[in-house]
Amino acid sequence: MFENRAVGLALTLPAALFAAALFILPVGILLSEAFQGENGFSVQAYIDFFSSGRNQTVFWRTLKLAAFVAGVSAVIGYAAAFCIVSLPPTSRGRMFGLVTLPLMISPVARTYAWLVILGRTGFVNAILVDIGIMDTPARILFTETAVFIGLLQLFLPLMIISLVSAMENMPRDAIPAARILGANWFQVFTRVILPLTREGLVIGGTLVFTGSMTAYITPAILGGSKVLMLETLLYQRVTVANDFVAASVIAMILIVMAFSANLLLKRIATARKTRA
Amino acid sequence: MSDFLNISDLTLAYGRTVAVEKMNLAIAKGELVALLGPSGCGKTTTMRAIAGLLTPVAGSITIDGRDVTRLAPAKREVGLMFQSYALFPHLTLYDNVAFGLRLRRDPDLDAKVRAGLETVGLAKFATRMPADLSGGQQQRVALARSLVMQPKVLLLDEPLSNLDARLRLEMRVELQRVQQETGVTMVFVTHDQSEAMGLADRIVLMRGGAIEQIATPEEIYSAPRTTFAADFLGFETILPIEGENRSMAWRPSAVVLGEGPHEGTVRGVAFAGERREYVVESAIGMVKVDMPASDTVYRIGQPVRFDLPKDRAVIVENS
Repeated sequence: MFENRAVGLALTLPAALFAAALFILPVGILLSEAFQGENGFSVQAYIDFFSSGRNQTVFWRTLKLAAFVAGVSAVIGYAAAFCIVSLPPTSRGRMFGLVTLPLMISPVARTYAWLVILGRTGFVNAILVDIGIMDTPARILFTETAVFIGLLQLFLPLMIISLVSAMENMPRDAIPAARILGANWFQVFTRVILPLTREGLVIGGTLVFTGSMTAYITPAILGGSKVLMLETLLYQRVTVANDFVAASVIAMILIVMAFSANLLLKRIATARKTRA
Repeated sequence: MSDFLNISDLTLAYGRTVAVEKMNLAIAKGELVALLGPSGCGKTTTMRAIAGLLTPVAGSITIDGRDVTRLAPAKREVGLMFQSYALFPHLTLYDNVAFGLRLRRDPDLDAKVRAGLETVGLAKFATRMPADLSGGQQQRVALARSLVMQPKVLLLDEPLSNLDARLRLEMRVELQRVQQETGVTMVFVTHDQSEAMGLADRIVLMRGGAIEQIATPEEIYSAPRTTFAADFLGFETILPIEGENRSMAWRPSAVVLGEGPHEGTVRGVAFAGERREYVVESAIGMVKVDMPASDTVYRIGQPVRFDLPKDRAVIVENS
């Protein structure tokens, strides 16, 4: 684009300096903290972290909930995206607007709404007791279920948006063509829709998984200290225990998991591609 | 025998918008029928209903004596070549053609796929992806993909309209050859009267969700039933007969330029090889005239006399 490459490079310099000085450097310092031993480099902080039973529980819970939220949002997302792309253009736009609407509302407000819905005297318990499924209100808040519901609600729109745009890019008539050639709806999904939307699924899956893993507000409000996740644990370590080493370890784990999730999903997607 | 594919009292709708109303049509085995009409006339909707992609509001469709009205598309033994071809971009040509046979666990899959690709002349491209092919080649793959399933009825959506003139001729020859060799019953949708005439045994002209006329190409060319049919089939000059519910219609080639009772001014002239096409503005409107190119040449803006000979007009009902 630029005749002189130096001009192009010079133009990216301010942004590069900004990122280096104010993001990469502090993160580097924070992450390196956990590798400082008495005699230089050491992974002792990581061994210490994972030798604690409570930390292990939090680690696996975070992984499990994030994977579960990503999985369930993919299932719901495909159904929703399919319905949306089947609509005529005007109603499609409206439905898409409805999907993106929650993204414009603060996650704090959205999560507090779940307090009202899921609380002991909330809407869900009132119904469960009224129709006689429960004798007394159940404790839903401050359980993994509450965190799961909150995260799913928070990140589902990202999955739906990714899948809708992937489906809109599928060749027109690919689905009817498969049906006429003898595919039932399950085969249409596995042989046509899934392979043709796998990039959208990878993007949506990565966004939802890393989002759920690194969310703070939702586990803090709906899980509290009873259902700690890595992010809430990190915050607690820093503010309560002033333990920056553990915080650095957790930050590293979150970064590694986010990258691995993306790589893994890409691998799964390409494996499907070569087999098909 | 004349009702291999039978459509009776078929009514189709999208939501509350009725697209086709009480349509009746019988097609014989091995026949090549064109559903012809302007956009919005219901021709594509009818084809989708035959394929099973749209459930009728009322009426029935039978194929080879079997009522398929409520059957899933897969169970109808119907093939459809889409206007967009609808190849699967993630599969090779081989796998595209094998798609339906695989679902059906066909024991002769490999032989049939290879024969299918051979038939359309693309055997050497079996391992290519659809994106590597030209539009015309993609369409032949789509044709092979439908044909290997040995459908009872092959539906084709605008099979020639995306092709340039040379490929159009090739595809027309291809489709006629396929019909000769396989004897498959074909129904194709088109908005182009010349495509319908060039390919079909019989033309079903549709208008506003109903059939306007069913006839052979020769019949419909020489004797359109209504003013709509005449207009659609190239009778450019239509004059109502006073006191009657009928009109007279002339093709551009039936109008004689140079002498006659009408006066006009040449507004357009186009050289078309053996013919020269004129547009003449006159008291009765814009008249299209088609004269041998060797005749006197008239220039734009030149006043001219012309004749609408009664013996060369067809009489049509007002529609």
